[in-house]
Amino acid sequence: MPKIMVDGKSIDCKPGQMILQACLDHGIVMPYYCYHPGLSIVASCRICLVEVEGIPKLVPACQTPVREGMVVHASSSKAIANQKAVMEYLLINHPLDCPVCDQAGECYLQDYSYQYGRSESRFEEEKHKKPKKDVGQHVLLYNDRCIMCSRCVRFTREISGGGELYVQGRGAREEIDIFPGRPLDNKLSGNVVDICPVGALLDKDFLFKQRVWLLKQAASVSPVDSGGENIYLDYNEGVIYRIKPRYNGEVNQWWISDDTRYSYKIVRDPRRVVQPMRMQYGSQIETTYDRALEMAAGGLQQVVATGKAGSLYAVLSPMMACEEAWLLGQYMRRLDPKALLVLGPVLGKGEDEVFCNSLTGKQTFVIKGEKVPNAKGVRRVMEKLGGPTATFEEFVKGDRAEVKEVKGGWIVGGYLGDWVPKDLPAGMKKGFRVMQDILPTVLAGAVEVVLPGAAWAEKEGCWENHQGRLQAFEAAVVPPVGCRREGDVYMNLLGRAGLYNGAGIRKEMGEPFESVRAPVAREEEAAFEFVEL
Amino acid sequence: MKDTEIIELQEPRLSVADQFYVPQMLVGMGTTLKHMFMTLTGKDRVIQYPEEKREDIPVVEGGMNLRTYRGVHRLNKDEGGRVKCVACFMCSTACPAHCIHIEAGESPWADREKYPIQFDIDELRCIYCGMCEEACPVDAIELTHEYDIVGLTRQEMIFDKEKLLKMYDQTVEKEPM
Repeated sequence: MPKIMVDGKSIDCKPGQMILQACLDHGIVMPYYCYHPGLSIVASCRICLVEVEGIPKLVPACQTPVREGMVVHASSSKAIANQKAVMEYLLINHPLDCPVCDQAGECYLQDYSYQYGRSESRFEEEKHKKPKKDVGQHVLLYNDRCIMCSRCVRFTREISGGGELYVQGRGAREEIDIFPGRPLDNKLSGNVVDICPVGALLDKDFLFKQRVWLLKQAASVSPVDSGGENIYLDYNEGVIYRIKPRYNGEVNQWWISDDTRYSYKIVRDPRRVVQPMRMQYGSQIETTYDRALEMAAGGLQQVVATGKAGSLYAVLSPMMACEEAWLLGQYMRRLDPKALLVLGPVLGKGEDEVFCNSLTGKQTFVIKGEKVPNAKGVRRVMEKLGGPTATFEEFVKGDRAEVKEVKGGWIVGGYLGDWVPKDLPAGMKKGFRVMQDILPTVLAGAVEVVLPGAAWAEKEGCWENHQGRLQAFEAAVVPPVGCRREGDVYMNLLGRAGLYNGAGIRKEMGEPFESVRAPVAREEEAAFEFVEL
Repeated sequence: MKDTEIIELQEPRLSVADQFYVPQMLVGMGTTLKHMFMTLTGKDRVIQYPEEKREDIPVVEGGMNLRTYRGVHRLNKDEGGRVKCVACFMCSTACPAHCIHIEAGESPWADREKYPIQFDIDELRCIYCGMCEEACPVDAIELTHEYDIVGLTRQEMIFDKEKLLKMYDQTVEKEPM
């Protein structure tokens, strides 16, 4: 464990660690643009230069490994003079368009200009103007805002592996570009926007939508596949505007796939089911939620009263949170102790998409082929509840005795797209069916009761990803008018007091759910910091 | 919505004297009577609005200086007659009453990146503090000296982009930028 001194503070470092990373780990603030812990080190921005005793010149902190007994001066007059010079140099051709730039508020250049720069420009000549470019399906490049840190270039080479971006030209005419006819269209392309320290690479989807300082963040998990990528939902006034990655070293590191990034659109989808329906004389009519719930409970009770034990089933969707699956399972088992629990269709049989570093061939990111987030978690809940269970394939085949007996049940959807298979199980084709879903399907038009449900961003709970990690997620917004969270509906049906609370339910579910911790949201920064100019 | 976003408000507690109401009623009545006698003796004056207006009376005699008065907003236009606003949201960020709602879009002009597709100010919610004017980096939003705006419905008092630009045309002669 080498020990180094930074500005009179002694810190323990890992052997071979760079000075900058060691300082960041110990809460010592140092400016940097080109350094990113997930990418290779190029030391091109030069703002992290520090003085090291015994070395006559300044050295880049991001590229200098620590040595036992090293004495570093990060805020000596020489280092500060360098920071000021680098800032002035970077701002020479940078347009002063912060008010219309989407990065403003989370821009390194803006922050460092306050902290390390000077308040005025000595540059009197005309600024270089470079055109803005459309580099890919999701990304827009504003070349005149670029500071040539080359993070995006390294990302496309080392993480997504396509190498679509490159540095064109030299010196003052240097700029980021794509090769002719080869746009940045891989499934990780959105990440270059996140790693860009300035507003040079912007997301077309978020462009001009909202200013970043107005957004609030809820820690969540990706709903698109079983990878369980950790994300932040950025929302304001009940609307989600974008999704940003949340660092988790063991799951997604700093990156998320584009499917995850744009999955928030389902929340405000105009097709969302918002009207509860009930069947009357063979056709569905509009009804209130309470009336629909009454009819659902009454209908299921009648099925149990007329049939024998085991005539009820519940299709638990792999989009449900574990807590919700637990509550619905309990409700069905209360009505009928032998109720059959079925895991809904696990979509996506495709192969995993693997991304490799184009230089070393090492695997860097995987997009899972299983396109539901919680198949493992719901299976675990079903095991915990015990009793008769079946997979959806067995339910479709219908040759098991338990499967043949069903007369009515509860079906949960909640998928991000159409999920109803062409060959419906015999049990789901007739009988008394209650359906909870967020998008309209063929099945929803034929069932006895339709209950509008909530999307994942509107409720809390936990999901188990393909590695078997149980990850809790927070709610960001409230469901649209007419919809109710699944958890609240089950609490109501079970006759329990209060609203659905993920952590409370997890406690009664026992291990391993009990020990799932709520996600750690980003630390709140001070709302205003007064800067003396 | 998270628990941290919920604010719980407590009703103010009344003292024992306040709970009887009568003493507080007498205090209020006293104020009314005081002003009645002051008007009768000529110490207070009643302005016969709208025949008589405060801006026509000298400030020392109870009038007001219209030049520093903060009235209804206007959106300024540039030389080409285009809206000057670049939809940077600075005004709506600075607004303590949250009465400015902007929807930004890509501008149809080459010299500008962004412009407001929609720009609504709720004039009933506004407290006329002038923070929006202070925050604007391009001097696009200004408060005029107009105060006698009326509307028959609340909806009419939500001024949209067209109405705010019309306000500019109406006041630009009297109050140049």
